[in-house]
Amino acid sequence: MSSWLDYTINGLIVGNVYALVAVGLALIFGVSRLINFAQGSIYLVGAYIGWVAVVQLHTPLPLTIIFVAVVAALVGVIIERFGLRPLQNSVRIAPLLATIGISFVLDQLVMLTFSPNPRALPSQLPDVRFQVGGGTIGPLDLLIAGVGISSALLLFVFLRYSKLGWAVRAASQDRDAAMQMGVDVNRVNQAVFGIAAALGGVSGLLVGMYYNQIDTAMSLQATLKGVVAEVVGGAGNVPGAVVGSLLLGLVESYGVAVFGTSYRNLFAFLLLVVVLVLRPNGLFASARQAPPEPLTGTFIAPSRPVRIPRWALAVAVAAFAILPLLPVSFYILQTLINAWLLGMLALSLTLVAGTIGQVSLGHAALLAIGAYTSALLSLTLSVPVGLAIVAGGLMSAALGTILISPSFRLRGHYVSIATLAIGEIVSLVILNWESVTRGPIGISGIPPLSLFGYDLISPNSVYWFSFAVMVVLALLQARLLGSHLGRSFRAIRDDDIAARAYGLSLNRYKSLAFIFGGFAAGVSGGIAAHLYSYINHETFNTQQSILALTVVILGGLGNVVGAIVGAVALVGLPEVFRIAAEYRILIYGIVLLLLVRFRPQGLLGTI
Amino acid sequence: MSNINRRTLIKSSLSAAIAGTAFSRAAFADAEPILLGVSGPLTGPNAQYGTQWKQGFDLALDEIQAAGGINGRKLAYTFEDSQSDPRQSVAIAQKFVSDPRIVLELGDFSSPASMAASPIYQRGGLVQFGFTNSHPDFTKGGDFMWSTSVSQADEQPLLARYAVKSLGLKKLAVLHLNTDWGRTSRDYFNNAAKEYGAEIVVTEGYIAEERDFRSTLVRVRDANPDGLVLISYYSDGALIARQARQVGLKQVICAASSVYSPKFLELGGDAVEDVHVGTRYFPEDPRPEVQKFIAGFKKKYNGLEPDAFNAYSYDAMNMAAAVVKIGGTDRKAIRDAFARVKDVPSVIFGTATFDVATRRVKGAMNAELVVRKGQFALWDGKPT
Repeated sequence: MSSWLDYTINGLIVGNVYALVAVGLALIFGVSRLINFAQGSIYLVGAYIGWVAVVQLHTPLPLTIIFVAVVAALVGVIIERFGLRPLQNSVRIAPLLATIGISFVLDQLVMLTFSPNPRALPSQLPDVRFQVGGGTIGPLDLLIAGVGISSALLLFVFLRYSKLGWAVRAASQDRDAAMQMGVDVNRVNQAVFGIAAALGGVSGLLVGMYYNQIDTAMSLQATLKGVVAEVVGGAGNVPGAVVGSLLLGLVESYGVAVFGTSYRNLFAFLLLVVVLVLRPNGLFASARQAPPEPLTGTFIAPSRPVRIPRWALAVAVAAFAILPLLPVSFYILQTLINAWLLGMLALSLTLVAGTIGQVSLGHAALLAIGAYTSALLSLTLSVPVGLAIVAGGLMSAALGTILISPSFRLRGHYVSIATLAIGEIVSLVILNWESVTRGPIGISGIPPLSLFGYDLISPNSVYWFSFAVMVVLALLQARLLGSHLGRSFRAIRDDDIAARAYGLSLNRYKSLAFIFGGFAAGVSGGIAAHLYSYINHETFNTQQSILALTVVILGGLGNVVGAIVGAVALVGLPEVFRIAAEYRILIYGIVLLLLVRFRPQGLLGTI
Repeated sequence: MSNINRRTLIKSSLSAAIAGTAFSRAAFADAEPILLGVSGPLTGPNAQYGTQWKQGFDLALDEIQAAGGINGRKLAYTFEDSQSDPRQSVAIAQKFVSDPRIVLELGDFSSPASMAASPIYQRGGLVQFGFTNSHPDFTKGGDFMWSTSVSQADEQPLLARYAVKSLGLKKLAVLHLNTDWGRTSRDYFNNAAKEYGAEIVVTEGYIAEERDFRSTLVRVRDANPDGLVLISYYSDGALIARQARQVGLKQVICAASSVYSPKFLELGGDAVEDVHVGTRYFPEDPRPEVQKFIAGFKKKYNGLEPDAFNAYSYDAMNMAAAVVKIGGTDRKAIRDAFARVKDVPSVIFGTATFDVATRRVKGAMNAELVVRKGQFALWDGKPT
């Protein structure tokens, strides 16, 4: 019995830690309707600035907190001014991509300045412990709770009762109307980013002190957990974010209590999916609240796509097809094989995200399902590899569609978050379902690609095989887009109410899109499994999902050729920047930001 | 396929001939260095390990160069950043295989990245020398896969003996990283500990990104063990030790050699005092290779203490030099040389000789350390 008290206390303690990030995310979402993927990076920056203050400058704690808050706020204001404000009149998805790019740049800058080695960040509070239940809590626990709750309260009061707070809320409800009433919307945005960043920075500092450890990998985890907590509480709802965080901490702690440590995150993401399905606006959304997304499709604004003449495409396909016959190195072929595999994934995602408007952040899960199905079929049942890959595609289509179907009723950002969670759940199930997936040991000795009894081993044959599969999938998809079905998909994306009024069954069409998209992604995963010969739960991770989305947005949402061009660009760029060694991901992030800035509708435009 | 092999063979025999002439003139600067390819993480979540590799490599290379290089030629490496991502490591593998200057490849770090590249190295006929690859199937990828990673079948029974026989622990709680390394290690540890007569009362696997262990430690407490065993890296090991003390667990803590790092002491602070660590070497070890390594490392890196990953990469570079010395610059001859090198001085193994059947090295050294006054010290046999 006393153990349950301990689990409860531990859950609340870690929930406290999540709350610090979630409040900042909620504030920004409340005003700009933007999931700020750079919030975790600001948290990282705050932790390292704190380290400089504590270890190098020896500042006392209050001064450290102020110092970190000011510098982080400055970073936030700079991000808003130069990263996001230029995008405010472009497609709504552009700022999302920009925050991903900004987080790359910030993480890399910190890593280059401070080296990737973890550092100790000593707590500046006296080391007294209070006995609570079976364990103890320290002053830092109380400080973290104090900062989390008081900042949420202060923000709540600020938003409700101060004039600038009204302006913030007015701007979040209707930007244009607020501007007509004389609200300086840019000023408001700047203030909000500054406050959120200050909070983010201080939370990085406190969490770093709490664990006496900071490292450059902490930013993505912070963002993930923060996003979960924020959405559980109701996106944009500041006190809700605190409650959501505590709830998340509790669910994780009880999950560990009942099932063991390796199931911990599974519960976090299951909680998210359940909350989204039952209460799509979060636990604490009031009925009066305006819907968090506009009802019709301004999320993805159509643009005029670049028309590429058919003969040019035919020439390009022919050129790539004869490439292995020319004296090019296997390295270039291998890089292009990677691009074709990513291209298949991007085709899948551009259909799902671009054409029908379901922006998925968990697409790597489809790769994993295809890869594991194909690998296990060929290894344990000796199914021929070609057949196993097709089976992988079918399994991915079926399982992916079933898993995603609960989120069909969601809109806009909520779809992205639900798919993010589903992606994590798939990866955790693979880790824990050892009797089938072999858990963390992974599957080794997967037979190489073969077709009709002939092994495809040389880079040339793998290249031709993957290129051919991708071209066939692309042609099918282009045909689909031009058909009645494709037009229905776009109708749903552009105005789902109108589409429904015309008698389109939304769920059925969304399922069709996921079935087709799931197949392409599953095939890509299957080929990858046979190419690598070894896969485990880390092979297809969240970074892959984010990369796929970047490709799709870069190429132009819904654009088939754009998806492939984007894949070649994003596989190629980091390879091209290889000479820059440690700096290459930084350069990649900057290039990404510039592309978003000057070509927000994608290289080839949305179709 | 056969094409590239022939081309490489011609080129490498050409360069071998050039090397011969260079040697006769005995001039360093005239000869192209013998080039090794390294595939490992310099950015991304595992970037710290790539940085540590470099430190060990550079120190070993300084010593090799000072001793006259390899038959009069310098040894050098080119480090390609893979982010430990299989998609990038396969591209790097093709790059190395088709670059005739590369005679041998080292790495990658994680199993997915390393083992995805193995088929390419195997077919391309370039040795993939994975010195941190403990996955039991790594060297099964083919006869071009060799590894000096300490086999967990070797290491974990040593740790179990320390915990059960030396420290007299009877009821153990095992916490392990839920990766291929952690899982394999856990199984070897549990089996060995049971053979020594201990009981495993609870095992908990956690993911690498985990930072909060308080609830896990409540489970551990409820199982009522008399010792905690950490199969962890230094950063998560330090976190667990700290939180164990915070939630009031006072049991003896034993940790695998992978926590052996000055960072473990820095990150763990007071909480890692009295933690027992089974390691492969320790600073006061009188063996000459250890003293040379530690003195050289501190001198080169401003007094920094080396850690386990520095030692692995230092050993790996010395092994690569020994192999190239015998095998020359022909890739196939280098593979055969791995079977022929005998008793290469090594920090981890004392002297390293490959077992030709498993293509691994057996017989890691053993030292039983404990943290005393914030420093690793040889355990004096006193209970804590």
